[in-house]
Amino acid sequence: MGSIRFDKVDKVFGPKTGGMKVLEGIDLVIGEKEFVAIVGPSGCGKTTCLRMVAGFEAPSAGSVSVNGREITSPGPDRAVVFQQFALFPWKTVRENIDLGLRNKRLPRSERSDRIAGALKLMNLESHAEAFPHQLSGGMQQRVAIARAYVLDPEVLLMDEPFGALDAQTRVVMQEELVRLARRNPRTVLFITHAVEEAVYLADRVAIMTRRPGRIKEVLDVKPVRLAENWDRLARIEDVMDLESFVHLRTQIWRSLREEKGPHGV
Amino acid sequence: MAVLVALWFLLTTLTGTIGGGRFPSPGEFWASLLQISGKGYAGATLLSHAWHSTTLVVMGFLVAIGTGVPLGLWMGWSRRAEALMNPIFLFIRPIPPLAWIPLAILWLGLGDAAKIMVIWFAAFVPSVINAFTGVRTIDRPVLEAAAMLGTPRWRLVQEVILPAALPMIFTGLRLSLQAAWTTLVAAELVGALVGVGFVLNVAQQDIYPGMILVGMVTVGVLGWATTWLLGHAERRALAWNVAAGA
Ligand SMILES: Nc1ncnc2c1ncn2[C@@H]1O[C@H](COP(=O)(O)OP(=O)(O)OP(=O)(O)O)[C@@H](O)[C@H]1O
Ligand SMILES: [Mg+2]
Repeated sequence: MGSIRFDKVDKVFGPKTGGMKVLEGIDLVIGEKEFVAIVGPSGCGKTTCLRMVAGFEAPSAGSVSVNGREITSPGPDRAVVFQQFALFPWKTVRENIDLGLRNKRLPRSERSDRIAGALKLMNLESHAEAFPHQLSGGMQQRVAIARAYVLDPEVLLMDEPFGALDAQTRVVMQEELVRLARRNPRTVLFITHAVEEAVYLADRVAIMTRRPGRIKEVLDVKPVRLAENWDRLARIEDVMDLESFVHLRTQIWRSLREEKGPHGV
Repeated sequence: MAVLVALWFLLTTLTGTIGGGRFPSPGEFWASLLQISGKGYAGATLLSHAWHSTTLVVMGFLVAIGTGVPLGLWMGWSRRAEALMNPIFLFIRPIPPLAWIPLAILWLGLGDAAKIMVIWFAAFVPSVINAFTGVRTIDRPVLEAAAMLGTPRWRLVQEVILPAALPMIFTGLRLSLQAAWTTLVAAELVGALVGVGFVLNVAQQDIYPGMILVGMVTVGVLGWATTWLLGHAERRALAWNVAAGA
């Protein structure tokens, strides 16, 4: 359960007012329990791809489906971690995490167990009763991740979830996500600007072109990771030192650089 | 405040810059206050006048926000509701609340019902507009997060839309309360048998500046007190917002 399929997807914003083509012919299949990262220049349509899977945006042509069913609306089977957190400011951390569980009509005892687990995982135990405004950006993002994780969704959609974190917290979160993904694999669509992050986390990395965004190439990371046994190393910096890692990273950098043109980012 | 009172005393009693008969001195004010508090004036004591006016304001206010806020939320949420209600609203809005007084008196007489109706019409508008704006300015990601979590409709209204719009709703409530006081006093000036506006009206006919000032100060104090209570409720309801210093 949980495969995502983009089938010849185009997306045009404002078709009545001239229109801007943002995505063109996106073809991508994310297998069950596969972790795919999308990297690409700013504004190339990464978030738009994710929003179509989430059900917030409809393709202008082609189709996006999950488990073979075309997506028509948002739902808790596809949990989203938003680029801008999107927490409920009037709810405490606990209440933010609880809402999705209440919507699923889970019994109280199971809800509190799951919330406790999510708080522990995200290192938020001492802030359960705080309001989002009382937390740092990094902590808010951890709440947003906990809110998605706690649903135990088939598909997890993450839009630059670590973008707002400081370097140390980010590393901890990345390592944690890798452990989680290996222990309890699920289908993940992960968007990031950070090439290292993509190579470290993903089974495959899809590279997009500038607008109108197309999938330029898809790199297989998983075979390399397994062959070189990256998972024996607990720390991200040790993995990042491996020659096999550096090789993949450089390949993606080159590919992205061609997209960014002579003026850099 | 103390400076203001001292200045007042200086200008009237001590120097007579503002002549007697035009603006009352502190002494006259005090005498009028004692008279209406003890013996009563215009048919009742100050306390019963004030109490009567306050009751009417609170009732009119509650009716107005009880109807205005839900209507505003509904118009904010549904484009259909907006399309349906907005033309009516745009037509009624420019009519000053006071212009309803003759009609209200004609329909409902000089009693309380007519005044509540006029207050309702006056206090209704800010409640509707601000609740509407509150809903329309909700952050899109917050609504999307609620949808992603599979939030059912009624829970969405209660736990997402209402709290998200609450800061704007309270802005509307404050304006509504102000409008309620303004309108009530005006309505009592035109036709009433008790109330602070009635006191003002009688004092004017009696050419009694001290009592006019007592009436005005009473309106000010009552308006301030009710606004303070509302602000208190707001701080409690928006604790999550105040914590942000927002
Ligand atoms: N609702 C919308 N209406 C009109 N244009 C939009 C809308 N959403 C996105 N766009 C435009 O589509 C393009 C792609 O946006 P998108 O957010 O998908 O890019 P992105 O790759 O996620 O960028 P970033 O890396 O900066 O997050 C941008 O030019 C953006 O301005
Ligand atoms: Mg984006």
